[in-house]
Amino acid sequence: MLSASVKPSTRSAFMLTLKRDLLIAFKRKNDIVNPFMFFVIVISLFPLAISPEGEKLAEIAAGVIWIAVLLSAMLSMDSLYRGDFEDGSLEILLLSPHPLFFLVLAKNIAHWLVSGFPVVIASPLLAYMLKLPSESYGTLMLTLLIGTPTLSLIGSIAVALTVGLGSRGLILAVITLPFSVPVLIFGTLAVQASASGLPAGGYLTLLLALLAGSLSLAPLTSAAALRISVS
Amino acid sequence: MWLWFAKLGSPKWFYELSSKWLPWLVVATVLVIGTATVWALLFLPPDYQQGYTSRILVVHVAVAGTSLAFFPLMAVAGTITLVWKMKLADMVAKNAAALGAWFSFITLATGSIWGSVSWGTWWEWSDSRLVSMLFQFFLLLGVVSLRSALEDSDKAAKACALLSIVGCINVVIIKYSVEWWNTLHQPASPVSLQTGSANGPEFWIATALMILGVYLFLSVSLILSTRNEILQRERRALWVQELVAAER
Repeated sequence: MLSASVKPSTRSAFMLTLKRDLLIAFKRKNDIVNPFMFFVIVISLFPLAISPEGEKLAEIAAGVIWIAVLLSAMLSMDSLYRGDFEDGSLEILLLSPHPLFFLVLAKNIAHWLVSGFPVVIASPLLAYMLKLPSESYGTLMLTLLIGTPTLSLIGSIAVALTVGLGSRGLILAVITLPFSVPVLIFGTLAVQASASGLPAGGYLTLLLALLAGSLSLAPLTSAAALRISVS
Repeated sequence: MWLWFAKLGSPKWFYELSSKWLPWLVVATVLVIGTATVWALLFLPPDYQQGYTSRILVVHVAVAGTSLAFFPLMAVAGTITLVWKMKLADMVAKNAAALGAWFSFITLATGSIWGSVSWGTWWEWSDSRLVSMLFQFFLLLGVVSLRSALEDSDKAAKACALLSIVGCINVVIIKYSVEWWNTLHQPASPVSLQTGSANGPEFWIATALMILGVYLFLSVSLILSTRNEILQRERRALWVQELVAAER
């Protein structure tokens, strides 16, 4: 794609990585569609298993959506570095002269755009199915908009650590889920607060703080983890 | 000045040194834990509210405090592994993870037993310290399973080192959880010098003694398991083979 004589700037390397990953994602739709279908199906199991009554569902709606998000994130994260690891392009990425921080960030953003963002878009529909009070749709979407990129960034560390393993579905969850708990707590608290008419701003700012922290630290850690895994 | 540091990296040096120290450490551990246990179980006056159940707190506080030391310990050992590639640091980190999981488990168990009497509940999800301690337990198990999943021991060492450094975040959350979210678990009680008060000397000195004892126990078990690890990993080294031959 690039001629060897031109050395792109870090910004264009960032954009190229982003574009490349999005392109690959759209060529391999299964990796996007399956986790999303899993997300929708898990949510639709709860009314069947617990109770179809509106009141009970409204009570658990926020938690159910957030847990389904976490679980489907575990599934979709799996493909974050795997393809690149298998075809060797991850090694090329590690050898590039640009800071790995930005390349990892680009990959994470691309991954979030195809896995996290659809969840945010679909959430009002699912919230409606779970009888969540309509005044908290906005808060739910906001928490997911802030929370899902945080989950992707945190999960990226564990994926990077385990990229060389053959079957790693479970170990990924064992490592990542405990770290995702703060996002889950503040996300559901914000939605529950708004559902009972309380201001949710405090929880949203805490979620933003988590996003800011993981945005600046997680790609560094993922980069270090990738260097460990591919050596 | 750096000589001792370089020496520390040598498993053989550690093995020989620990052989000399171990008997003393074991004696000290038995003495301190023994004294603290007898004191706590037989002589500690009953709390004016909790009665005799307060005695289990001596063990609970000591083990809980010590269990918080594992992630920092593993992070320091992990940093040494990542920066200086010292074999010994990784052997310590490896065994610390499993030991830490046990400490967290005992913390949860003793806390639950005490809570079942004093709070009337074995477990309370709304309490942040209980939940964060549970997740420390999960995180330590995660480190253990990451170690066993990665076959290449060099890669496993580095990966676990990185995970331990990241895991330190949770220690901060556990420590300050009782102050940030004030629910069921009480914050650390200030020590009082007055005998007969709720947290008088007879109580906190017993606890301090138990903390010392638990730390000694931690060092002994860590040294023992590290020695085991050394023999296993260095089994091809000449000095280990000579040692084994002499034992036979």
